Amino acid sequence: MDIGPIRGGGGGRLPVKLHKRVCLVMTEDAVLAEEILARKKLAGDVVGRLTERILLVRPGRIESVLQELQKMGHTPQVAGKIA
Amino acid sequence: MNADPAIDRVSATLERYDEPLLRKVAARLARPRGQWPSDELIRKCLEVLENPPVLDRRLAELPQSGQRLLALMARSRQMEWPLGSVVELLVTFGEEDVRAAGMVQELLEAGVLFPVLNPATNRIGSFGYWMSQALVSGGLNVFTVPCLATRAVFPSTDLPELGETLTGPVIETDGLEWMLRIGILWQLVVGTPLRRTQGGGLFKRDVDRLAQDPLLNARPAMGVVDLPDPGFLTAELGERIGAFKDHDGEVRVEPLPQSWEGGLWEAIEHLFPALFRLRHWGPFDGFRGEPMLGNPFPSAYLIALVILSHQKEDAWVRPAILEDWITEHHPYWQSDSMRPSRKAPWLSAFLLGICFPMRLVAIIADGEGSYAVRLTPVGRWLLGKGDKPTTPATFPRTLLVQPNLEILAYRQGLTPGLIARLTRAATWKTLGAACTLQVEAETVYRALESGETLDSLTRMLDQYGTRPTPSGVVDLLRTWSNKRDRITVYPAATLLEFGSPRELEEALARGVSGVRATETVLIVSSEDQVDFRHFRLAGTRDYGLTPERCVTVESDGVTLSVDLTKSDLLLETELPRIAELVERSTANNRRIYRLTPQSLTQARESGWLLSSLEQWFLQRVGQPATPAARLLLAAAMVEAPRWQRHLVLHVANPEIADGLEQWPTTRELIAERLGPTTLAVIEENAEAINKILAGLGVVQIKDQPK
Repeated sequence: MDIGPIRGGGGGRLPVKLHKRVCLVMTEDAVLAEEILARKKLAGDVVGRLTERILLVRPGRIESVLQELQKMGHTPQVAGKIA
Repeated sequence: MNADPAIDRVSATLERYDEPLLRKVAARLARPRGQWPSDELIRKCLEVLENPPVLDRRLAELPQSGQRLLALMARSRQMEWPLGSVVELLVTFGEEDVRAAGMVQELLEAGVLFPVLNPATNRIGSFGYWMSQALVSGGLNVFTVPCLATRAVFPSTDLPELGETLTGPVIETDGLEWMLRIGILWQLVVGTPLRRTQGGGLFKRDVDRLAQDPLLNARPAMGVVDLPDPGFLTAELGERIGAFKDHDGEVRVEPLPQSWEGGLWEAIEHLFPALFRLRHWGPFDGFRGEPMLGNPFPSAYLIALVILSHQKEDAWVRPAILEDWITEHHPYWQSDSMRPSRKAPWLSAFLLGICFPMRLVAIIADGEGSYAVRLTPVGRWLLGKGDKPTTPATFPRTLLVQPNLEILAYRQGLTPGLIARLTRAATWKTLGAACTLQVEAETVYRALESGETLDSLTRMLDQYGTRPTPSGVVDLLRTWSNKRDRITVYPAATLLEFGSPRELEEALARGVSGVRATETVLIVSSEDQVDFRHFRLAGTRDYGLTPERCVTVESDGVTLSVDLTKSDLLLETELPRIAELVERSTANNRRIYRLTPQSLTQARESGWLLSSLEQWFLQRVGQPATPAARLLLAAAMVEAPRWQRHLVLHVANPEIADGLEQWPTTRELIAERLGPTTLAVIEENAEAINKILAGLGVVQIKDQPK
């Protein structure tokens, strides 16, 4: 995302763009991400690929994504609390 | 803010007293000299509650029945009681019926008892008026604080001596039964929460689940009586100790109580006050869908246990005799109009069915086909009649792990902490002197999700196992654990986007922890973990909020221009799935994409529907999808277009066209209305139309079709 250049702080505070409350699925490898992305039932919930191993999930849809992953036979670990 | 939450609660309550009422209470409790402001009066009242010598003087000034009430509350370890139960306790121990409510008011005014105020109640001006609302509000509660109640003296001279000497084998349980059952229910609820009706009961599906579960409804291994609806009793006990919690009508599991990690006595101590908070379950009817109003049992349970604690340590009491004393003195059983069913025996169910499996009482056969009871050392300790017993001996090697993933758990080695861990890591299959559990992929996953690791699970099995854990079991645990590591889901991650890879490296070097997503993006599982002292925010996007409109669409309906100052990760990840990037240049902070037949075919194949496209346009562009976009996405999903030759009949005015379209004789010959004065007719029908029109007196049809 480009919302203007981030300029270095010269050893002080580091300038960052903060993305809050992002729902993500991170996979072990790209093939697994591909497999998830190809799942029709997840098409409406997964927005797309942030990187080849990271999928971005639509806000508020993480629980149904988790359920669908479990139906696919995966046992995903959950980092952080589900709101 | 006080370190003691109970004192904080008193402070918050006193703040809601009207000033005259506060002055009245403070005059009794703190006895201020001079006219102090309200804040100061509250502070002085709280100081008294934390000053034992002054508190003892204030308690000594109370009537004996008031002191006894506070002492009873202390013995129950339950500091909040319904007003009705408080009155029952006062009357049972000698207060006159008509004066009991007055005694409660006296204790409220003395500042040793406090009203539980409804959130809707802003201020309270008079205790008398507040108590008069009991019927309207569906029940009122009062509370006290442990530092006060535990100092109240309990005069026991007028308590009955009901004990007798009996000989024979004494039976005492291990005290684990309710914890095991709460564990079983926890497993039942973890996947499918219980749902409450508006009245506070449970939906039929959940009533059936609780009523029919074979483990929850079986008699305990050392049980001597059957209870009505034991599954519901387990559910209510579990909810009272915090293993389950109501979230807007859905009862879900919570982490099993921390007290279970502290040992058996701590776990029983935590469970004990829950006995006096049972509202949906009673020994007469079992489960009542809605909370029982005018429920006499909480006070009756406490009276029974207090009288038992008054007996000699080795004396046995027959429940029937104790029950006679209670029904003779408790106001609930004094009513002349009481239905006979309400006079049925109930104390055996409580003492033998609940307290015995909980290790509060031991039992002995009384020679008449029933049992007599006495408090165990734990029971005496909980009721303030003895020291805390020494920690029971445990047998650490108590699990037998079998190659088929079944675990045999010998009960003498179980502890509440181990029960909690096994509840998370395996499914209880049978309860008995030896219990069986089954390890499954889902249960291992559940255990890992609750904080266990592969290492901690295998260590648990090795530590408590009577034999080394079979290698096949360890391999399966490893396989399931590795499988879990393949996917990590972040429900609400925080992403830190740096200006360069070097700055990300510097952040890591400063101790910022996170997972690297790209060369410039770091994932942190929660915003709480970000130490903002290291950062200066160059921009913030909150993905919990509604997506921002940041796309404009050109007049061609397919060219999309993204405003980069407003766009976000969602848009930038989603747009390449439906459109092709045309221009990457960030001049004017805009980026151009184009909807093409190929891009929308790809979107359609990956599950995009017309409704998805519509929603995306409304959210991001602020207008419905353009016709061109709809065409590109949906053209392939509708019926194929077809070519067909027609003649166009032009008539003089719209009325003639309307008539031809409406009149049944001509209607069936017309293919379609094209415009106000034009109609499409297939070639074969032209001659028939001509004849009909001629019949209507139309002399000549211009431009006859050839």
